[in-house]
Amino acid sequence: MSLFLHYLSLPYLLEGIAVTLQVTALGLGGGLILGLILAWMQLSRFWWLSAIARGYTVIFRGTPLILQMVFAYDALPHIGIKLPAIAAAGLALACNEAPFIAEMLRAGVLGVDRGQVLAGQALGMTPAVLMRRVIAPQAIRTMIPAFGNESVSALKNSSLASVIAVQELTLRSTQLASSTFDFFSIFFASGLLYLVLTGAVSVIQLFLEWLLDLDRTRQERWLADYLPWRRVDLKIDLVEKTAPSLDADPVVPPPRALTREDRAKRAVTIARNNVAVDVKDLRKNYGTQTVLDGLDLTVRIGEVVALLGPSGSGKSTLLRCINHLESWDSGALRVGGRRLGFRDDGKPLSPRDIAHERASVGVGMVFQQFNLFGHLTARENVAGPLRWVHGMTKVDADRRANELLDRVGLTHRAAALPRHLSGGQQQRVAIARALAPNPSVLLLDEPTSALDPELVNEVLEVIRRLAVDDGLTMIISTHQIRFADEVADRVAFLSGGAILEEGPAHEVLSNPRNPLTARFLSVMESDKAPEAVR
Amino acid sequence: MRKWLFGDARRASLPWRRAVLGKIVLGAIVAAGFLAPVGAQAAPAGCAALAEKYPDWKGKTLVNAINPHTPGYEAIDPKDPNKYIGFDIDLGEEIGECLGFKVTYKAVTFAALLTTLASGQADIVISDIYATEERAKAADFITYSKVFDGVLVAKGNPKKITGINTTMCGAAAAENTGFVEVPLVQALIPTCKAEGKPEPTLQLYDNNANCIQAILAGRADTYVNDVNTVDNAVKANPDKLEKAIAVTIPYSVGIAVPKDKPKFREAVMAVMMEIYKSGDQAALLKKWELDPNNLKEPGFLTVN
Repeated sequence: MSLFLHYLSLPYLLEGIAVTLQVTALGLGGGLILGLILAWMQLSRFWWLSAIARGYTVIFRGTPLILQMVFAYDALPHIGIKLPAIAAAGLALACNEAPFIAEMLRAGVLGVDRGQVLAGQALGMTPAVLMRRVIAPQAIRTMIPAFGNESVSALKNSSLASVIAVQELTLRSTQLASSTFDFFSIFFASGLLYLVLTGAVSVIQLFLEWLLDLDRTRQERWLADYLPWRRVDLKIDLVEKTAPSLDADPVVPPPRALTREDRAKRAVTIARNNVAVDVKDLRKNYGTQTVLDGLDLTVRIGEVVALLGPSGSGKSTLLRCINHLESWDSGALRVGGRRLGFRDDGKPLSPRDIAHERASVGVGMVFQQFNLFGHLTARENVAGPLRWVHGMTKVDADRRANELLDRVGLTHRAAALPRHLSGGQQQRVAIARALAPNPSVLLLDEPTSALDPELVNEVLEVIRRLAVDDGLTMIISTHQIRFADEVADRVAFLSGGAILEEGPAHEVLSNPRNPLTARFLSVMESDKAPEAVR
Repeated sequence: MRKWLFGDARRASLPWRRAVLGKIVLGAIVAAGFLAPVGAQAAPAGCAALAEKYPDWKGKTLVNAINPHTPGYEAIDPKDPNKYIGFDIDLGEEIGECLGFKVTYKAVTFAALLTTLASGQADIVISDIYATEERAKAADFITYSKVFDGVLVAKGNPKKITGINTTMCGAAAAENTGFVEVPLVQALIPTCKAEGKPEPTLQLYDNNANCIQAILAGRADTYVNDVNTVDNAVKANPDKLEKAIAVTIPYSVGIAVPKDKPKFREAVMAVMMEIYKSGDQAALLKKWELDPNNLKEPGFLTVN
């Protein structure tokens, strides 16, 4: 025991720790840099970059670290690169860690909800902004445990540097054991020293998790909550969630219903307006399946068009094409007179330029699944894109966000995270976010389909006000026939990627001429029947 | 092939080391690298003339690659682990003193000694390495000591092993990777087969301590190595280990130097001759309690 304590405090071994930490730091730091490059290459849209990264991964993940150490130390000098032992060990460890770190980074990036990425693109974020503001902050949170693992593993792997004469803890322990014959006391001491080091890594990991926990500022979450034997009480969370539905959101007075004369007047005004969206013979295939089959659609400024039709009829695809979230095979698409997605010389735009184009043309989009940025408060969801894409100052962006949240009746929830909002509230925030940059056209992709029935109305109410009070140009894909009848100026019935029938909303919905439209409408009506009886 | 000379290599790596030292920790990071020679003999009288004849290494610092797991020859000082001590260490320091260079140490596994030399990561190897024709293909040797091996066994010699012979049939022998004893044990396999006995098995380890532990743990039956190492192991574990017998092995211990530096080889040889003739070598054997019978006039072992 006394021998054990003697070795535990022996400066010779403690100095070995310094070397161990140096090798580990070089390995992790270098591995992180290399890993970032590798992950970037693998996620790149250029296949050859990704192929090179794959090749590197196969080689360095597939060979033992001990061979890589010996290679860096003994083989590199033959081509004139003679690194000091610690640097050679750090290099080998970095090269070995890189593919593992790259895979962690890739998993973190791919793990971020695709919907949020789509929403970011729709808001006109360039790939770089999207990565920095939406993907990275969320990916890093999920990657911390894996990084903790990797750090511990690198720390232990640094002991392999003993084979290339690096005077780290393991090499010092074995030499000491050879000269003193106190084999076990020394190795127990060195084992304990390693445990202290890896324990410190775990503490750092827990601290970072605590630091980046989004709920930390909302509830009293202490570092102790992260200890393995602690079970955090979920009650606080539940109360938070149910609270908003108890004290109902401020009542927004319903807009006045449109009379027949109003509608006629609207139709006349709209017919004189300029064209906002012009779709000509749009075609798109997924493999052998035709999604859009020569679709034509013209939407004038101030007009509200409802897209109806069964699932898979091409409604969502059409909306995504209008915002250039998807490309198409042939046909032309103009928004505000501008041909989207191509440079003046007819070549396709890069993702970055498409993002700029989206921002300047001004097409807002609201998604079925809300797609709010999960790490940002309701206010930041609205204000953030204004700063990052449109260069607004923080003061202006916040003012605008507050204004819009007020309009959708959510001022009191401005500081809440999306996960603490109900579905209806989330969708209203999403609408506020889409409206913030003053889009010329707002696309709504089944905005109420993912909502519980009792939450549908609050969202429809907001959309109705936009149409009637603000005269916003909107294209809405929906299954809400009655809503379409009330709000839309025109409905278009899609089937098989083409428009079967279109015309003034009330006319088409009450007197469909196409048998397919009639059947679809009657099915939708019979679905509604039980509710109607009640 | 090799572009760097000794001096260049040192110059290249020293500033880096200094930077690390300045920034990070105490001087001991590169272990014994910067420590003054320990217990070195005063250089023999003939050294002055030799230093004049071979001035190329004056003021330089040379790297000695060692496998510091052999107490008596080279191991860290249990009293001050930042120092390496032993017969070979003193010998190297004396050669350095004679030719005017300082010695730093690089601790590597036994099997990596000659690789480290060949890759230019070390300038000389003085580490109780037996000079064999096979090894002489990788480095030139200046032989300086006879070899006596001891056969280490568990107390009471339960397998009745009497040397590298058929008594080892069916036994498990622990050896270090790269040791000359490895092929000697392997050569027993056909002999044992011919006599209808089970083959001996080999367990390969990285250093003496692991080989000795293998016997203490009952994993191996014997470990054949330099007799002094075996004696030290018995001294440390008198209740559990014993030396079965000492055997002669037809090799000499040698100092390894790079094959492409004949001038250095010549200088080291001249110094070794001086150390031998002056009686310093015999004194060193005595100092480290090694068998005086090890003493041998220096010679070359080179293979083209």
